[in-house]
Amino acid sequence: MTTVLGRVVATERRPNTPHEFHFWTALDSPVGIGTIVRVEGATPVNGALPVAFGVVTEGFGYTDLDTPLHDVLGHDGQPGSAHQSPTRRTEIRLYTAAVLRHVPEEPLQPVGMGTVHLADDADVAAALRMDGYAFGENKTAIPVGLYRAGATSSPVHLDADFLLGPEAAHLNISGVSGLATKTSAVEWLLASIFAHFPEKKGRVAAVCFNVKGPDLCFLDQPATRLDDSDRALYETLGVPAEPFQNVHYYAPYTARGYALNTLRSNEALAHNVHPLTWGLREVLQFAEVLLNKDDIDAKADALIDFIKERVVDQPFSDSVLEHDHTVQSFGELEGWFRDLLHGMEAKNQESWRTHHVATIRKVRNRLTNISTRCRGLVTDDGTVSDLPFGAFEDRAVYVVDVANLEEDAQDLIFARIVSQLRERLESRTLGVDHVVVFVDELNKYAPSDGPDTYVRAMLLDIAERGRYLGLVLFAAQQFRSQVHRRVVGNCGTALFGRMDPDELATPGYATLSPATRTKLSTLEKGQLMVRHPHFTQPVFVRFPRPAVLSGREGVEKFPQALEQTLESAVTRALRVLDPSVTLDWVKESIALAEEDEVIRARNKTQMAKPEDVKSYFRSQLKRRVAPKSTESRARVAPLKSSPPDDPYSF
Amino acid sequence: MAPAADGAGAVGVTAVGVTAVGVADVLRALRAAPGAPEGGWRLETTGAPSLERMALEMEPPRLEAALPIEGEALSYRVLDAEPLAGFHAFLDGIQSTRVLQYLPGGVPLIFGTVAAVVRERRDRELHTWNGEPDLSTRVYVPTALTPAEHLRTFDAAGIPVHDTLDGADASDGQHPQLLLTLARTAVQRERERLETSLAERWCATRDQSVYVDGGISGAGLAARSPHAVGVVKSHRTLYASGDGVGVITRLRAGQRTTAFEIRSARRTAVASWYLRLRDGGDPMFALVRIEVARDTFTAERADEVSRWVLAERTPLALPDQRWHTMAYGIADCERYLRAIAP
Repeated sequence: MTTVLGRVVATERRPNTPHEFHFWTALDSPVGIGTIVRVEGATPVNGALPVAFGVVTEGFGYTDLDTPLHDVLGHDGQPGSAHQSPTRRTEIRLYTAAVLRHVPEEPLQPVGMGTVHLADDADVAAALRMDGYAFGENKTAIPVGLYRAGATSSPVHLDADFLLGPEAAHLNISGVSGLATKTSAVEWLLASIFAHFPEKKGRVAAVCFNVKGPDLCFLDQPATRLDDSDRALYETLGVPAEPFQNVHYYAPYTARGYALNTLRSNEALAHNVHPLTWGLREVLQFAEVLLNKDDIDAKADALIDFIKERVVDQPFSDSVLEHDHTVQSFGELEGWFRDLLHGMEAKNQESWRTHHVATIRKVRNRLTNISTRCRGLVTDDGTVSDLPFGAFEDRAVYVVDVANLEEDAQDLIFARIVSQLRERLESRTLGVDHVVVFVDELNKYAPSDGPDTYVRAMLLDIAERGRYLGLVLFAAQQFRSQVHRRVVGNCGTALFGRMDPDELATPGYATLSPATRTKLSTLEKGQLMVRHPHFTQPVFVRFPRPAVLSGREGVEKFPQALEQTLESAVTRALRVLDPSVTLDWVKESIALAEEDEVIRARNKTQMAKPEDVKSYFRSQLKRRVAPKSTESRARVAPLKSSPPDDPYSF
Repeated sequence: MAPAADGAGAVGVTAVGVTAVGVADVLRALRAAPGAPEGGWRLETTGAPSLERMALEMEPPRLEAALPIEGEALSYRVLDAEPLAGFHAFLDGIQSTRVLQYLPGGVPLIFGTVAAVVRERRDRELHTWNGEPDLSTRVYVPTALTPAEHLRTFDAAGIPVHDTLDGADASDGQHPQLLLTLARTAVQRERERLETSLAERWCATRDQSVYVDGGISGAGLAARSPHAVGVVKSHRTLYASGDGVGVITRLRAGQRTTAFEIRSARRTAVASWYLRLRDGGDPMFALVRIEVARDTFTAERADEVSRWVLAERTPLALPDQRWHTMAYGIADCERYLRAIAP
């Protein structure tokens, strides 16, 4: 029997209901907003004393004063004299709690009078209905944090079936920037999932889109600032306090094509950083991501479909064309367009296969422009370096760094990767059974207003149907109110860090009590409010600092590589495959080659990963005859010059 | 705890560990009993206010000469020293009555509740001394005018009954208003009994001062104790004559009169003086009369006790209308008793 903390009270003006009750406590009781309490009823119902669990949502304190003026009068307007009163005014601490659970559940009655106790571990488990999934052989519990109140310190678990599907799925995180909420919480929760997701539920991996700065660039590096309290939290929650063991980074090249466009460019970390490049085939499937409705009318759409179905990746000939084409890259597509338009001009044709020349020119302009707009990601030559779809590894993290890319390129990457994940999960050929897709700045990709975009439609699709496939969206944003309602509405679990008061004033937070909103706006680092399908009310938990190096510390510890020359970029890329590659060797090898040719050779070598890197690389460069010095030629004796006075000389 | 009056306890309600009979218990017992009046037993709701609210005849204000014991005649003294917290506890009681029913002949059947408590001050907070108050609930009836079956019903239900006629014969009947007055007096005496009992127990077991609401001259042994200090807020009897009245009415805040002795045949002699707590236009505003045991009186003690009472001016006892004379500790006693009384 725990100590009595308070007593339930109810008045006609403020009655108790089945979902809310009131209680008072001593002034020094360890009760606060978010505290979970147990009420032991005094009157048996159906022969059993009812027990109710609640979480404190509001607190009141007042005295027996009718008006503050009476206190002013009582102290002659001198606030400093209050301590001289021999008696302290009677004061009350009155709390309102939202019911988490009734035991027994039926009949559902208003909470009756009774004693109030601080919830212990078992109470917390019962109150949050964790007793159904956090214990036993078939447990599906994923620790999300530690609930603390008074002397109680209880782990709070999410149900994997409701976090990663199939019952419910998806997670949404809100919080102001810079207070270790969103990214830290996701890093912590992924670690927890990897540590606790039951093996019999299948294999799980994560694909994280790094959309800003170096946030997710050092997930495989250990944290430098874990203190004892963090380690204790990790131990209590059963999660190893160590960085992710299996992380792969993907980033497109910069526009120049020398280096990868990522802040994880330090050579010491290059071993698991891979290029992300796509060719025509990959991009054409998602042309609508990059082409807005103004670009694509029905006629243009028809031509694009024709190109996709009849031109790309197959021999194509036509009487208008000067020669046959096999289009496999943007460069070859441009050649095809040029040949076609030239042929039409030569034959003075205004249309070709029902497509008007203006439509052809427009589509040519828009499609060939893609490789320019997404330079670094989209290659003219069709080189493809992609995520290992089909060979995803269990408990692996795949980070796609799109932080430094243009919006178009970001959208294209997101759309294609998610589509691939979806297709592979549908066909069970991804390599894992569940994929967590983490997207930050969700309000940018799935805004509540603005035009319909391909990416938003895709996010809606994941949110509404992804759980059946094992495609789980973990999304974060600063302002939840600015995200499409159907996206956040389909997230079974929601985490809230410190919130902006203006955001809390929006209608989406109206169900929270003013005190809870106030607490949300003043949450410390490492604190979260959690909503989960099993919890009838949100609860507050504390989680440890991530065991991985933060982005800010990472860029200090692993400074970004300096702007590279072509030679050094190639050296670095090849050295990952063959450490014997030196800068001098590369300089000698590419001395006569064009820049595009060198980059193409490097990309092909990276894709092929040959045993003999040097030979393979050199074989990708055009053979050239070595220049010979003109000085080595035999000198021919000059002709004798004419006499100065020769009138016929030149 | 008040003595379980006349076998009370078989029926009751619980409030902070106190078991007492409530109005509902009485009505329940009566409904189950034979001899119900026409229309059945019911709570009288019309024309039957609480007796405390009835405009009962009261003694007219009067002056009464008292024997000076500090100087030759009543005069005033200025308290130079600052107020000082000296009380360790506060004692007060409450009473309430309800007319349950008028029996044939206009005989009132009255339910009375009285309670008294000592609220002890520890670390500037007030706590109930001994953990609970003294409480008494009874039915007040003139037994000679009450049908025998009703009395048997009360007895069977364990409801204590107080005879307001105190055994006197009333075979010729009584005026209903006189019966109400008798009931009110009986309830008041019961309250005084509880308060006296509490004050005596405090003084017998504690050697610290208790602030008693009202006079202490009727408080039995407490009236002789150095630990009981009575503070009287109402002044229908002003203990002064001639120039003494002016001395009292012209007192300024922090001034007291010289002391005098109050003696009566049925009460214990006490030393008393007037003290002005606050300045105001009304001659009786913030005026209290303090009583201490006669044998303990000295001028220095009067000054010291006056400083104690002055210290209790804060916190204000607002919103009580008597805030200008009432100590916060006494207001707390009343609030506590009203919260727990059935």
